[in-house]
Amino acid sequence: MTEKVLSKQNLNIFINTLLSRGEEIVGVKKKEGKYAFGKIADAEEVCLDYDITLLPPSMYLLPQREALLKFNIAERPVASPVIEANPFILFGVHPYDIKAIELLDTAFSTDNLDTNYLSRREAATIIGVDCLNPNPNAFCPSMDTAFTDKGYDLLLTDIGDSYVIAIGSERGQALLKGCPDTQEATQVELKRKEEERQKALGQYKVALDTPLEKLPQLLDKSWNSSLWEERSEACLSCGSCVMVCPTCFCFDVQDDIELDLVEGERYRQKDACMLVDFAAVAGGGNFRDDKTSRYRHRMYRKGKYIMERFGKPGCVGCGRCASACLAEIASPAETFNLMRGESK
Amino acid sequence: MTKNLSEGKSLYLPRVAEITSIETIAQKEKLFEFKFQDSKELGHKPGQFVEISIFGIGEMPISISSSPTKKGAFELAVRAVGDVTNALHRLSKGATVGIRGPFGNGFPVDEFTGKDLLFIAGGIGLFPLRSLINYVVDNRKNFGRLIILSGSKTADERMLVNELERWQVMEDVELLETVDIGNEKWGGTIGPVTTLFSQIEIIPQNTFAVTVGPPVMYKFVIGECQKKGIPDERILMSLERRMKCGVGKCGHCQINGVYVCQEGPVFSYARIKKDKLTEAL
Amino acid sequence: MKPKIGFFDFTSCEGCQLEVLNFEGELVELLKLVDIVNFREAMTEKSDDYDIAFIDGAITTEAGISRIKKIRKQAAVLIAMGTCACLGGINCLKNFRTMEENLKIVYGDAAHYYDTIPARPVDAVVPVDYYLPGCPMNKDEFITLVKALLLNKKARLPNYPVCVECKLAGNVCVFEKGETCLGPVTRAGCKAICVTSGRHCWGCRGLVNDPNIDSEKEILQKHGLTTADILERFRHFNGYLEVSK
Repeated sequence: MTEKVLSKQNLNIFINTLLSRGEEIVGVKKKEGKYAFGKIADAEEVCLDYDITLLPPSMYLLPQREALLKFNIAERPVASPVIEANPFILFGVHPYDIKAIELLDTAFSTDNLDTNYLSRREAATIIGVDCLNPNPNAFCPSMDTAFTDKGYDLLLTDIGDSYVIAIGSERGQALLKGCPDTQEATQVELKRKEEERQKALGQYKVALDTPLEKLPQLLDKSWNSSLWEERSEACLSCGSCVMVCPTCFCFDVQDDIELDLVEGERYRQKDACMLVDFAAVAGGGNFRDDKTSRYRHRMYRKGKYIMERFGKPGCVGCGRCASACLAEIASPAETFNLMRGESK
Repeated sequence: MTKNLSEGKSLYLPRVAEITSIETIAQKEKLFEFKFQDSKELGHKPGQFVEISIFGIGEMPISISSSPTKKGAFELAVRAVGDVTNALHRLSKGATVGIRGPFGNGFPVDEFTGKDLLFIAGGIGLFPLRSLINYVVDNRKNFGRLIILSGSKTADERMLVNELERWQVMEDVELLETVDIGNEKWGGTIGPVTTLFSQIEIIPQNTFAVTVGPPVMYKFVIGECQKKGIPDERILMSLERRMKCGVGKCGHCQINGVYVCQEGPVFSYARIKKDKLTEAL
Repeated sequence: MKPKIGFFDFTSCEGCQLEVLNFEGELVELLKLVDIVNFREAMTEKSDDYDIAFIDGAITTEAGISRIKKIRKQAAVLIAMGTCACLGGINCLKNFRTMEENLKIVYGDAAHYYDTIPARPVDAVVPVDYYLPGCPMNKDEFITLVKALLLNKKARLPNYPVCVECKLAGNVCVFEKGETCLGPVTRAGCKAICVTSGRHCWGCRGLVNDPNIDSEKEILQKHGLTTADILERFRHFNGYLEVSK
């Protein structure tokens, strides 16, 4: 499809037009010197030159807490499914987060279709924006997530006074039809887009020493490394790394009942393998009861298990975990590089 | 995303089943029989499990104790250890629960055809094995010898005693029992379940070993099976993990990269070694 | 039969009982399920026939010891409500002085009229069935616990640190703002209310089951606290614990 160009001023008008049409837009806003996704009320709030958001946009597709069933236990217990999905636009998603969403799409549609996730996903229109200002802990080029040519409906690239817009779907194209000020992108503009992307690639400070496709093999040899214990020594089991991760999708399921003790809901909520009780079983006993085995499991998920299972990397290199970890041990790139150093 | 993906049913909605009988097995163990309200079969294989729901309390994975040859109803033998199992124990006949499943791979019963079968149960490992044992008993001519080794902590903690006695008197079933700690009531073998291996003779090339019991037991049982010459591909075990969702999503049951609720709970020792499932045993 | 509930105060600000009165709508719902038979802060009638006892406050007197033992004998279920009852809380600050000093500072010449012993949590004297930590205790946890008791279900506190809830709340980390925080070792359940309101975590809910204290101390030091500062920080609410000694 041909790419379009839209001036920055007209993009704001476009956003406000969508809002006035009643579209729900979730976009990136400033928050105490950082950035966070949130509901947009006016185009002025939208930041598109951010480095990274505190939490990933995937939380709008797999909410931190989500009802799965409603039940009533008055006489004979009855239950009915809850599937909530209202159309919305996820605006300004970076390519690594788009790739993370693609992993969730795969995970929630492989073997068993998770209609709760898939319905919400279908209701989402994704407008991406190229990340030209990477977070210092990010290593996206190593994970092949710095750019993407799919997974979005529209993708913007900032070329100075305007955005080049790539159209990724019919839905994206239809959306853009409501924006009369777009022009066909010229060769000059497309060249500038390419230059901006190249400039961004030069700004990443962290890189993986191992080619992405060799990560599973590297980890295959590293199970008994003493580095796991050394690295995890300072681990607080605080879950910060996994709570901010765009590719972590594990959850717990619980029942909650109203004070009438009759009506209630079964819900799922975010849970993660770095938390102490994640692998505990009912009869007592915990299959990962020490921080080293939990730490190692997370790294294997990021570098091996997910890739082998779903054919996509379990880490998109966004660097959120490394930024969130007070013990400074969470970066998968750093860990994999240490493993590689050791295995040489 | 294509549209049809989101149009399926909820993965998490249980079917309604009624408790049609309850039998007390021991102090903390009961055998429940269930019938689906829509009269459909569970349609399971021995070794599979279901997720049982008591709404307001929660959901819990329980292995199926009845053989698929039992029609119209299925059974779960349940030890009361947590919220859901305790709540289930408080229910009476006629009460309804939610059931999802069956889940998991189950035992490869087709591969067992014509083979001698050596089953090794520890404690309530007998509950899931009961499904397989009765399946074999009900299709007796399809299989070779059936040897059952069953270990209990004490004579008072022998599970499914009626069932053990039923198998004991069958001519084509060889049942050997042991208890960890003997007392005056117990005239049989004393020691861990592995003690019984010295009392049996098998043809290893023609034998499948299947073991279910507490995690600590497996290493020893595998060792004994290997000593008998049974190849690793034919040493099978059922691994217990926290199978929360049952549908390969929630991540709790993972052993290394494997989702036990999807690819397990039954694994051969060969598979555990080949896939480097270092967290399995 | 509705279970009978009693509230009993020991050494505390009684703020946790006030929290119960602040339930408003939920209190009406709650009263359909239980009978409150003893609640000094809210009613004049009182009965010693109760099934569930909620204890507000730390044990700081000899008289308190015999009284809590009596309550334990009567109550089928005993719940420590709030940081003082669960951990000893702020009361334990006095444990770092002699009792004579404390009496003199507080009561001056009248010191000899008063009985005081080192402050301690309820479970240092009698077994406690459930804990509702927090200063003040958390309303949602209180209601969840009551529902769990009525449903015959075990109520469990989260066994992960405040960081989990703080991250999910989308907060900027306190350490990134140049301040320090006990969130990484403190039991969650408060939805990181203090950080979300622009402050930091003081550890009022006590520690998780297996806190990495060494790592936390190292991090606090790296962010500018001295050993003395760190000790003071832990003593604020967790003075009864080893970490404060």
